[in-house]
Amino acid sequence: MKHRQRIRTITLGAIGIALFLALWELIGIRGWAGLTWPPLSTVLAFLFDPSRRPLFLRAMTASFSMIAFGYAIGLVLGLAAAALGHLVPPLRPGLDRLASIIHAIPTIALAPLFIVLLSRELTGMAIAALGVFFVIYVSATSGLAASSAAHRDLFQVFGTSRLTQLRRLDMPAALPALVSGMKYAVPAAFIGAILGEWFGSSRGLGLLMVSAMQNFQIPLLWSAVLIASTASLLIFGLMSLAERLAYERYR
Amino acid sequence: MTKMLKTFVSRYWGVAGVLLFWQAWVTITGVNSIVVPHPIDVARDIVTEPGVYLSNGSQTLFLAALGLVLGMALGTLVAVLAWSSDILSGILTPLGLVFSSVPVVALIPIIARLFGYDVKTVLAIVVIISFFPAFVFTSAGLKTLPAGSDDLFRVFGASRWTRFVRLVLPSAVPNWMIAFRLAAPPAVLSAMVAEFLMGTSGLGYLFRSAASNFQTDRAFGTSVVATIISVICFGLALSAERAVLKRWT
Repeated sequence: MKHRQRIRTITLGAIGIALFLALWELIGIRGWAGLTWPPLSTVLAFLFDPSRRPLFLRAMTASFSMIAFGYAIGLVLGLAAAALGHLVPPLRPGLDRLASIIHAIPTIALAPLFIVLLSRELTGMAIAALGVFFVIYVSATSGLAASSAAHRDLFQVFGTSRLTQLRRLDMPAALPALVSGMKYAVPAAFIGAILGEWFGSSRGLGLLMVSAMQNFQIPLLWSAVLIASTASLLIFGLMSLAERLAYERYR
Repeated sequence: MTKMLKTFVSRYWGVAGVLLFWQAWVTITGVNSIVVPHPIDVARDIVTEPGVYLSNGSQTLFLAALGLVLGMALGTLVAVLAWSSDILSGILTPLGLVFSSVPVVALIPIIARLFGYDVKTVLAIVVIISFFPAFVFTSAGLKTLPAGSDDLFRVFGASRWTRFVRLVLPSAVPNWMIAFRLAAPPAVLSAMVAEFLMGTSGLGYLFRSAASNFQTDRAFGTSVVATIISVICFGLALSAERAVLKRWT
């Protein structure tokens, strides 16, 4: 019964995606949305044209390395801030406020600051790092509070140091929430890097998008968006698998 | 008094620290105020010319609020449609998940091209960005009924409509509020990004024109105003969520 349910879910989901892609193609062919909506086949043909491979590869390397570095920096900062707030509780309220205010600053307003502080090329990475930082900080703090009171009491009775308790009890208990956070941080990293590249970076998918938008290169615009979306989706999917493993192992 | 000061310090030491660091950094390195303005200059610009910020800010806020309401309404409507039919739900749910894990901001250039460089486009972008959380969370909420309640309604022979209005819709409210809280700040921010990119009007445009005229104090002032608006929106959405949850559960 459960097996059949699963097959049904997958079939319907596949039909949904297929319908969406078919509709995209149809709107493009019939021209219902005007010239700026190309059929899927045109976009794919444009994307996989060998002569454009160097262009896309260069943009992808630039963007993906910025996203990866930004993600790593944001992850480390978020974990460090959450651990600090956990080990030194008086700092917690201030850290919470700071994190949410940083998160509320519009990214387009941060970009000029990073251009001054770092460089044009690294702005995307910095914005990605900030986006990831917030998601990780929030999920890690709620995860670190997830260990049960009985376990905490046990550790206290045995007189373990706070650091040992963090390593042996709080961190394993925080893992599921943290992995969920890491999943939701993936689109945040992509958004950050792409937004950052809109501000005069000389490489990357974000630059392709903006220049294609301004120069009316419609297939190029859709291709760049398609690459970024697919990549984000793939990593998000992998993270969902990791999330499932974490929940099975640590719950 | 000391107690108030203490709470203030414990809550805002981080923010105050950043502001102090900013002032200290500008003073010590002596960096040109065209590159990075002094915090005091930024505050002065906001205080002396509130009109500019107010008119542009209210426009952005209006677009964001309208877009948020429309997007939430549309998302809820589609979620209800999906609830009414298993097949529709099976088809729409994965699409909703796909789109909510895609960097939606990357779609802004496409939407801008589709709808033209216009205020309507800003609205369309906010609607689309608010749509996905509303759809995903409301769908999930429509499915998580309190244990046993569904059986109770069936035993008493409640019609599908009664079941929907009296049980399913109310039990989706907490999730709906989560979607609202999550969608409110991005609505403001994405409206700004759209205004910035298309150069129409509003805070995003104000920022862009100030930055390109080297009025950095005005540009930073715009950021400060936008941040305050976004924080207030988040705070309001959060307290709305808490108030509703308190009454509801």
